[in-house]
Amino acid sequence: MKRTKWFQVRKPLSPASRTLFGILSFVVPLTIWSLVSYVPWIWHPQVLISNPGSVGYLKPGMRANRAVFEQEVETAIANGAAPPEGRPANPVYLPAPHEVATAFYTSFTAAPETRDGVWLHESLWHSIQIIFWGFLISSLIGVPLGILSGAYPAAARMTEPFTEFFRYLPAPAFGALAVAILGIYDGPKIAIIVIGTLFQQILIIANTTRQLDVALVEAALTLGTKRRQMLPRVVIPGVLPNLYRDQRILLGWAWTYLIVAELIGTSTGITWFITQQARYQHFANVYAAIMMIGIIGLGADMALAKLGTRLFPWDRTEATS
Amino acid sequence: MGRRASLGATLGLAISLAIGSASAAWAGALKIGYSDWPGWVAWQVAIDKGWFKEEGVEVEFEWFDYVPSMDAFSAGKLDAVGMTNGDALVVGATGGKSVTILINDYSNGNDMIVAKPGIKSLKDLKGKKIGVEVGFVDHLLILNGLEKVGMKESDVTLVNTKTNETPQVLASGDVDAIGAWQPSSGQALKLVAGSTTVYTSADEPGLIYDVLAVNPATLAARRAEWLKVLKVWDRVVAYINDPKTTEDAVKILAGRVGLKPEEYKPFLAGTKLLTLAESKKVFEKGDGFKSIYGSSKIVDDFNIKYEVYKEKQDVGSYLDPSLTNEVAK
Repeated sequence: MKRTKWFQVRKPLSPASRTLFGILSFVVPLTIWSLVSYVPWIWHPQVLISNPGSVGYLKPGMRANRAVFEQEVETAIANGAAPPEGRPANPVYLPAPHEVATAFYTSFTAAPETRDGVWLHESLWHSIQIIFWGFLISSLIGVPLGILSGAYPAAARMTEPFTEFFRYLPAPAFGALAVAILGIYDGPKIAIIVIGTLFQQILIIANTTRQLDVALVEAALTLGTKRRQMLPRVVIPGVLPNLYRDQRILLGWAWTYLIVAELIGTSTGITWFITQQARYQHFANVYAAIMMIGIIGLGADMALAKLGTRLFPWDRTEATS
Repeated sequence: MGRRASLGATLGLAISLAIGSASAAWAGALKIGYSDWPGWVAWQVAIDKGWFKEEGVEVEFEWFDYVPSMDAFSAGKLDAVGMTNGDALVVGATGGKSVTILINDYSNGNDMIVAKPGIKSLKDLKGKKIGVEVGFVDHLLILNGLEKVGMKESDVTLVNTKTNETPQVLASGDVDAIGAWQPSSGQALKLVAGSTTVYTSADEPGLIYDVLAVNPATLAARRAEWLKVLKVWDRVVAYINDPKTTEDAVKILAGRVGLKPEEYKPFLAGTKLLTLAESKKVFEKGDGFKSIYGSSKIVDDFNIKYEVYKEKQDVGSYLDPSLTNEVAK
């Protein structure tokens, strides 16, 4: 493992280096987070009060800004009263890694408190269903339309100018309309995911289709392929591995719309959990929930990537991604 | 819940976007939207205990964030929603006409203007920034407070802020005060050491009534069922107020919002829950804050003056005391 190799443009890494860097990509951010959380002289702009001393408005467990705290200590000492005590702390909305890890576990094991309450895994499952349906509906429209646009310039002119326009419109702004048409349950949430994903999808799929090697088309024509056979026999098989990869990226895109989508209509899913916990400043739980979304998203993507290598063994670009 | 049905419906709708909307719920359960305010979370007692079934009325309570709950009501997707008497006018002026048949409570300190350390009174806020959800209930609280100390809205700068986010916004230091209700107001006090309340709804009891506002069409068609809902409310208030059962009630309320019971208790203290007998008095016509007519009239004037909406609302048409009077003993 020679170090100079790392800095050669597009030179493939050895398997050992690949693994090493993959692990590092997680370890580095985690280390930064730990340093900020556990090393008292890095950041820690507040003081967690342990003993309020003579200061009336401070209470144990409260976080005061350091300047305010130091001011109060000085005043108390000058007046000969008991100074407040405490230790450096970060703001409540940056919990430490171990707090988030604990919250991760306890939020799954905590039973719902009310009779109509739901477990966290039920909330998560609900969110996954929203994504599934939103992405499925978007794909049912977007993939065929994208392929047609990529293959036939006429179809492209019919769809793309409008799509280019519409993709800039903010999906969440359609929330009220979606509620008016589709009700307060899952309908409007799914609709927001569709609106957020579909227009990007059409353009991306069209672009990928356009990148099909012209030589393939010409060879097919030379060999006497009929016009109606071109699409199913040549174009689609030719771009399929790339389409599959596009779809993986677009699925991630759909996930980013989840939180805004789930705020529309009744509060449900993982967003219900996040907003409810944030309202009461339980930020460890909030971050735990955010992590869960990350884990589910990454997990699904890795599974799809594995599946991709099975489905398209002839695809060469996959191996290096 | 008809989740699967609605998924199927979405599929159909997305494929052919031309299908028109259908059906406010004329049959089936009464759909009521509620959100995180003690006077509405109180319904949870009846939900958990199955009291609606005992009274023979079918209801479905749907949990929302406050503003989305009003949006859903405006869109005709709910038969009723919990909102303040002032917001009922705001929602009504923009198309979501409602009739208030029940007064859950009046805010007795839970709505607050919380100022950062160093600001001791409303007067100190002159020329300063206040974070508040513009156009809704605590905007009104600010206007009311400012007027008392001889100031106008133009003497301060209002920064439109989601109520949920007011604690962080105050902590950020970008504003000098926030207007919010519990739990957000209390979280702000906790989050910013040394911050104080400079004005609360306890300074003007009756400025903010929290009510059950019903879609007028559903009210006409299903009045008998709404009477039963009111009966259940009286049981809820009795259960929460009875010292023998308070503890159990607080446990249920705290469970709904994900808090420990002892953390939830203070929120109830800032909310004066009203029995039907008590609301009957509030429903009597009169001027001033003791009557919901007077209160709503004042709110309407405020809203016109500060251009929350343009046209005066017929306050009387928003209120229907007859159901409360019928059930109250």
